Amino acid sequence: MLHLPRWATDCLKRADPALAASARPLALWEKQKGAMRIVALDLAASAEGLFAGQSVSDARALVPHLEVREIDPAATAQIFADFADWHSNASPVVSVVIDHMSYGDLCLDITGVSHLFSGEAAMLAQLTSRLSALGFSVEGAIASTIGAAWALVRYSPGKIVAEGDEGKALHSLPVAALRLTEKQIDGLTHLGLKRVGQLYERDRKSLQARFGVSFLLRLDQALGWVEENLKPRLPLAEYFAEHRFADPIGLIDDVLMCAHDLAVQLALRLEREGVGAQAFHLFLYRVDHKVMTLSVNAARATRDAQHISRLFSYRAERLGGEYDAGFGIDMVRLAASSISPLDATQIGAFGTDSGAASLDHLYDRMTSRLGQLAVVQSTFVNTHIPEQAVKLEPVIAAASKPAIAVPDVTAQRPLRLLPHPEPIIVIAEVPDAPPARMVWRRVSYRFVKSSGPERIAAEWQNAGQKLSLTAETAKAAGTSDNMVSYFEEGETSRDYYIAEDDGGRRFWLFRIGLFGVASEPRWFLQGFFS
Amino acid sequence: MLGDRTATLETLRQKITALETNPMLREADNLSAGSGLLATSRGSVHEVFADTLMESGAALGFALAQAKSLLEPGRLAILFLQLQSDALEMGLPYGLGLRSFGLDPDRVILIRPQTIVELLWAIEEAVACRAVAAVVADIVHPHKALDFTASRRLALRTAASGASVYLVRYARDREASAARFRWKITPQLSRSPPFDDRAPGPPRWRVRLEKGSLGRRRKADLESDGFLVDWTDNGFVLADIDGREDAGAARVAALSDAAFAALGDRLSEAG
Repeated sequence: MLHLPRWATDCLKRADPALAASARPLALWEKQKGAMRIVALDLAASAEGLFAGQSVSDARALVPHLEVREIDPAATAQIFADFADWHSNASPVVSVVIDHMSYGDLCLDITGVSHLFSGEAAMLAQLTSRLSALGFSVEGAIASTIGAAWALVRYSPGKIVAEGDEGKALHSLPVAALRLTEKQIDGLTHLGLKRVGQLYERDRKSLQARFGVSFLLRLDQALGWVEENLKPRLPLAEYFAEHRFADPIGLIDDVLMCAHDLAVQLALRLEREGVGAQAFHLFLYRVDHKVMTLSVNAARATRDAQHISRLFSYRAERLGGEYDAGFGIDMVRLAASSISPLDATQIGAFGTDSGAASLDHLYDRMTSRLGQLAVVQSTFVNTHIPEQAVKLEPVIAAASKPAIAVPDVTAQRPLRLLPHPEPIIVIAEVPDAPPARMVWRRVSYRFVKSSGPERIAAEWQNAGQKLSLTAETAKAAGTSDNMVSYFEEGETSRDYYIAEDDGGRRFWLFRIGLFGVASEPRWFLQGFFS
Repeated sequence: MLGDRTATLETLRQKITALETNPMLREADNLSAGSGLLATSRGSVHEVFADTLMESGAALGFALAQAKSLLEPGRLAILFLQLQSDALEMGLPYGLGLRSFGLDPDRVILIRPQTIVELLWAIEEAVACRAVAAVVADIVHPHKALDFTASRRLALRTAASGASVYLVRYARDREASAARFRWKITPQLSRSPPFDDRAPGPPRWRVRLEKGSLGRRRKADLESDGFLVDWTDNGFVLADIDGREDAGAARVAALSDAAFAALGDRLSEAG
């Protein structure tokens, strides 16, 4: 656990060098219950005797040369989150503990990691010295529970507590070390329970009755009687390869070359395990504590290093001006997720190339360059409502596609379908003669031939749902609920016509509602034939 | 005897045109597509023009019909490209509609780039893939990026790969382009099916070849007034012009050799 008590002021000072250079103490305030209260102080301000919760006017009276700024909590938390992501170069599981404050507490799961830094003590020293060299005030502690680490980092920093020793380590710490609410702390002090050690022997039932379940939970979590899990900020990757640089790199070409090398390493590992992956993520750790993430997806599980690195180069092209290496990148990690078994395939000899594999590769490249929803394919839904019968879905490999019932439509369907049916004005004989004229987008058409009607009724199995065909009908249904609302056969049935005008253009239009039944039949244009 | 010689001459001519127009071509033999009506060689850029946006259905239909003839076992997909902004105005190809048009919807992949530069990139990338049969790009408005240089680039790429590109455009005036073929499509009043006088029949288009050549065949026809063709389940069929009922003969001509064999078998069994 790392604790940065002065994150808000340190972060502001890093962003504004003039502020860091000035010798004036700095305090940040926030509006709380109508008053301007101080929430963060730098070292100089604390030395003057100011404290959090004080009102700004009091503080100004005490320290006339105080520099006062308003805090931006959301931005501060956001920057801290980026900063936390960057720490995933030390451990794969990183989370921000937000029980007390939305920034300032960083928790790393170092199980099985510390040996890379030659021991826990060395790791703690390395992480904290790295940050204090950058000008952050930081404290660190290592314990086997989150609660204990949280307590130690605040009240006894630098300590490393082995598993099972939490009770002894926390014995002399104040009760505030247990992540309790203000009210609970006040209550405990009132009863004379000032140290954590005093709580061990107390009757749990009466404590629970007085301070609530959350109090006992915090105590148990700190002592390791109740398990508490971290919420990792970045997805966990089982397979990854990484590369650290002695000197930071900056050019995107270098990054892509490195990605290619990593892809080769990763592909070897995946091959050894007999698996392939569908999603690949490239994490770029910048020296100034930011992480950039590039993700690409493949239509079928793959471990082809060439293909993976090509996808990343296309993805990078889409970045364009967004790519900003800052002061350089000192670590690159390539992770694979969506793992599935992938057997070895024979290349050459008797295999016949159907071309499907090269198509999949093409779609992957296009998806990585043009975006996730840019490469789509029609899939069918078993319904008769035309605009619901087909939906567009990202292309996936043919082998993994589930069998779908195709609607058994035998009637002609248009080649192009408008995204929404467009209202038109139609002249037609009553009750159900084919349309004779229409006005669409302010142009009038005269029809000479037509076929129909093809009647498509609203689906009785969805009768409970409100029918919303177009924005207009939805609005109409909203304003007068008794009009076109629930399933009524005469109101919601559609009669479709294929109409050809004197120039040979063919349209697909429909009338919603039957004459004599519906209060006001309306016409819509939905598609075009070839 | 005479037929043999003309046939040989015809193949030779086709080879020469192919070599002349495709400088990067090595094996012209592999590239001749099916022998249907209006069939063209693989690996060329086509422009399909319609006068106005109202005729978008016909232009798209023609391009897809041509693309369909290029599908074969090694070449599995037709890619349809359209700018996202145009899709709102013009509508998207409809899966069930593709099926009633005679195309397998699984074979048609929709690609929706955001800018014209991305669209041109996507065409090039698609053409480079050897499993793509044809690329159909629906370009509603003229764009600066789509100039002669861009079309020349596409022409060279397609010639090298063997996939065809159809650029569907809507305009009356023509810009300079390096496309090998330029078609002008006008929808025509269709012939009603025999059982219903008022119903529309199969789509009928007037097809004019403004640029490029299909070889000796009906050059005069195409350059003057164009073909009047129907799109049916059997592919393109010459329509009866001036009310003459010679559509039947044309329909026979459009059948494949296998169909002839099947017919012959049945006749011999019946006789």
